[in-house]
Amino acid sequence: MRRGTFVRWGVPIAAAAVIGAAIGAGPVIAAVSGDPVLPERSAEQLLADAAAATSKQQGIAPMSGTVQQTASLGLPALPQTGGQTSPLSLLSGSHEVKVWYGGDQKFRVAMPTQLNETNLIVNGDQAWYWDSATNTATKLTIKEGSEQKHTTPVPQPTDLTPPQAAQRMLEGVDEHTSVRVINNAEVAGRPAYQLVLTPKDEGSLVQEVRIALDGETYVPLQVQLFAKGSAEPAYQVGFTQVTFTPPAAENFTFTPPAGAKVEEATLGEEGFGKKAEERAEHAADVAGQVKWVGEGWSRVAVVPFKLSDLQAQAGQGADEANGAAMLDTVLKSATPVSGTWGSGKLIKTKLVTALLTDDGRLLVGAVTPEELTKAAGVK
Amino acid sequence: MSTADTQTGIRRTPGLVPVAETMRTTERHPPEEISAPVPPARRTWAFWRLLGSELGLTFRRPRNLALLAVLALVPIVLGIGLWIAAGSGGDDEMSGLIQDVAGNSLMLTFLSFSFLVLLLMPVVVSVVAGDSIAGEAGTGTLRYLLAAPAGRTRLLAVKYLNAVVFAYAATAVVALSALLTGLILFPGGSVTLLSGTTVSMADGLLRILVTVGYVGAGMAALAAVAVALSTFTEVSIGAIAGTMVFIIVCQVLRAIPDLAPIAPYLLPTWFTNFDAVLRSPIDTAALRDGLLAFGAYIMLFGSIAWARFSGKDITS
Amino acid sequence: MTAITLEAGAPFGAAPPSGDAIVTHGLTKRFRGGQIAVDALDLAVPRGSVFGFLGPNGSGKTTTIRMLLGLVAPTAGTYSVLGLSAAHALPLVGALVEGPAFYPYLSGAANLMRFDAADPTAERATAKRRVADALERVGLSAAAGKRYRNYSLGMRQRLAIAAALLGPRELLILDEPTNGLDPQGTREVRTLVKEIAADGTTVFVSSHLLAEIEQMCTHAAIMRTGRLVAQGTIASLSSGRVALVKVETPDVADAARTLGTLGLADVRPGNGAVTAELGGHAPEKINAALVGDGVAVRGLAVVRPSLEDVFVGLTGEGFDVDG
Repeated sequence: MRRGTFVRWGVPIAAAAVIGAAIGAGPVIAAVSGDPVLPERSAEQLLADAAAATSKQQGIAPMSGTVQQTASLGLPALPQTGGQTSPLSLLSGSHEVKVWYGGDQKFRVAMPTQLNETNLIVNGDQAWYWDSATNTATKLTIKEGSEQKHTTPVPQPTDLTPPQAAQRMLEGVDEHTSVRVINNAEVAGRPAYQLVLTPKDEGSLVQEVRIALDGETYVPLQVQLFAKGSAEPAYQVGFTQVTFTPPAAENFTFTPPAGAKVEEATLGEEGFGKKAEERAEHAADVAGQVKWVGEGWSRVAVVPFKLSDLQAQAGQGADEANGAAMLDTVLKSATPVSGTWGSGKLIKTKLVTALLTDDGRLLVGAVTPEELTKAAGVK
Repeated sequence: MSTADTQTGIRRTPGLVPVAETMRTTERHPPEEISAPVPPARRTWAFWRLLGSELGLTFRRPRNLALLAVLALVPIVLGIGLWIAAGSGGDDEMSGLIQDVAGNSLMLTFLSFSFLVLLLMPVVVSVVAGDSIAGEAGTGTLRYLLAAPAGRTRLLAVKYLNAVVFAYAATAVVALSALLTGLILFPGGSVTLLSGTTVSMADGLLRILVTVGYVGAGMAALAAVAVALSTFTEVSIGAIAGTMVFIIVCQVLRAIPDLAPIAPYLLPTWFTNFDAVLRSPIDTAALRDGLLAFGAYIMLFGSIAWARFSGKDITS
Repeated sequence: MTAITLEAGAPFGAAPPSGDAIVTHGLTKRFRGGQIAVDALDLAVPRGSVFGFLGPNGSGKTTTIRMLLGLVAPTAGTYSVLGLSAAHALPLVGALVEGPAFYPYLSGAANLMRFDAADPTAERATAKRRVADALERVGLSAAAGKRYRNYSLGMRQRLAIAAALLGPRELLILDEPTNGLDPQGTREVRTLVKEIAADGTTVFVSSHLLAEIEQMCTHAAIMRTGRLVAQGTIASLSSGRVALVKVETPDVADAARTLGTLGLADVRPGNGAVTAELGGHAPEKINAALVGDGVAVRGLAVVRPSLEDVFVGLTGEGFDVDG
């Protein structure tokens, strides 16, 4: 009977083992059976393929999937701001969007949250933004001749899709970067090439950037940013599930439901609402004043910046109050530093270092504090 | 026959029979087995008969009916509250969800579930499931059931199935109550989904049916936890309280942003996934993941309950 | 052993009465914490007997019964009930363990239906009739529809006995069946047990009441602190202690001499009386001899030892009559 005790309790232990195995099955199967080896490609060939796949001329194949974005930038714990759809909330934690792409000018991005959903539906020159939380449908008119994405400085969910992120990364491939190709990666259950970009510059905080390209379609499936000395990516955006079949047409049609508020906004001309317009102007102002120090990965942006300005601005409106709260949190975690260049406050995260000098400059770069203070010395 | 002779011999012997002597003379060979005395078909029927008896006990018990009544009351109160709010408040002050409910009779069902799955439904289910074994042990009826002999594995299976039926009954009660309240108070017609698309009322009813199936499965997973706890105690309130503590601790852990990575391992995380039916297209991946999590919980806690109960000394 | 027919209503007397209804070998139960409730018990309950299981409270009787019913797993030793494994034997065993336990919100009949449903061998079709029969047998027919909550202590005990009689039983295990019953109820239970036994059913009755066992049982076993002290027929247990002859007389010395010459052993002259072991002597012959010797015999009695004397002699302690 006592021996029977062990046999009996073996059953739940076995059950736990089976469940554990099922949870860990993904990585385990990938590691054991894994290594779906694709034909070898040089970095150049792959980049050419990727560029072709990403470029507008050829167009990305119709697809749909789930994109997950995970950031662990090592920022100080941010106060919960403006709900899950707020751009600020993307800086920490994990977020998921669903993407349907039906060919050029037709796409839908949905961000599902608990009993809510926000949608951006673009179909040719028609675009709708739907927010179930406020029961509001916004008809976006895109100004003739302007591109869909570049005009809004506020990060939109579309900015997070792997193709865009990859495109940005590929633009930076130059003499400052060493590139290698891994041909046995797997992303969202698909064999993929992984393009590994490693900064040659010692001063960079970036260990490497990995871009996974689908082995078949060369569509970028995943982008990972690894900070130095960290095994987990500091920032990652990629498909967790993807299918390359044209999504159903009803994904790209939108009729405001009865009883919903309908608003209109024109992109590119008036901006995305008044506040966005102001921000856009402000961003344009700042962009004009940016000075770059250094080259490649250790490039540092120097912006004239007064803390008092930001705090004054932060005082306006409910949405800005969240920004103010965040600002306070960030500033509290800053370390005062000084040197031959002067003195200021240093904020260090895994990937980005920022220095707010007392003489009114903000230096930001993906570099070590030493590099940043060096840049601060360059007036 | 020699054994019997020895036995009668002992009985005839005058005087006390010392224990040592009895040891030597009683039969030693292992007891003979007779081959399956009950035909398997009868056994199957007997199983359903016991389940029927169990269900009769559960659904005739005033306490359980009161619990279901409380569940039925929540959507009614919620519906009337929203009806008053929708009648008096301006359009701007109402959130999207209230507008949805005010705009369509079916939405009250989903809103009711989103409130009730957090605590009240788990409480109701854990009362019945936590009571299952511990309650019988507490009243002493467990020893008579097992001596009947109900069979331990068989009794545990019946008890768990009974809890599952009750979990689905609780889910159905909420759905029906919310549906009726909604149909009386709010206009019918096409249903607006979270994605902003509209579907027909029949489609909406079908989605409610899927929700009932999903939420019921979630409650069945919770019932497995409660039944497992129930095998560890003879005081049913202990098992019920234990299950409630489990739910509350899970909800607290879920609320801590830093613990987000463990959220997928917590059962209540998956309860609210039913909102996948309100998306267009239906997020089947979310439902599937939820059902897999429920299955894992049922498997783990079901086997724990079995391991404990099949070897337990019944001393109550 | 011949296969037992389980069709309802089949005569269970058809099963061969040979062998023992209950056999245990070195049955031991040590509870968590090290306390030994039952220590190497070797019990043999013959088929067809009414077997009294005697012992003070806490002597391990109930734990033994729980082991026989498969409720508690033995730490060591083996047992067999009706020569079958527990799953096969238990449908043939009616049991009353440690008092009645029922669902308070159900009626007496509904409670019996509930326990009948738990037995996989019980037929649903005959359940109603069997429940009615069992209630009739314990005299609860009138209260069948009454909720158990409103039953008196005696009614509850009867309902528990009715539950034990639901099916055709080969063995009835009754743990303290007269607990809580008034003298009238006690008598009824005793009669019932005798009736059941007359049908050929083995009855295993545990009790701390000596009188009960003496009146009902053909066999008995005596437990003391988890150990079996003695077992056998009531007659054999009692005969372990010799009968005495007690002579009341003013002539104590003369009487003692006469008894001595008659060859009686252990002659003990006392105050106004002489006792001696009776042995094989006829009391009337002793009387004649005493009178012949001129001893003034005021009274002559043969004192046979009761089970209680046996018990006291074996365990060195009195019986806990009040429970």
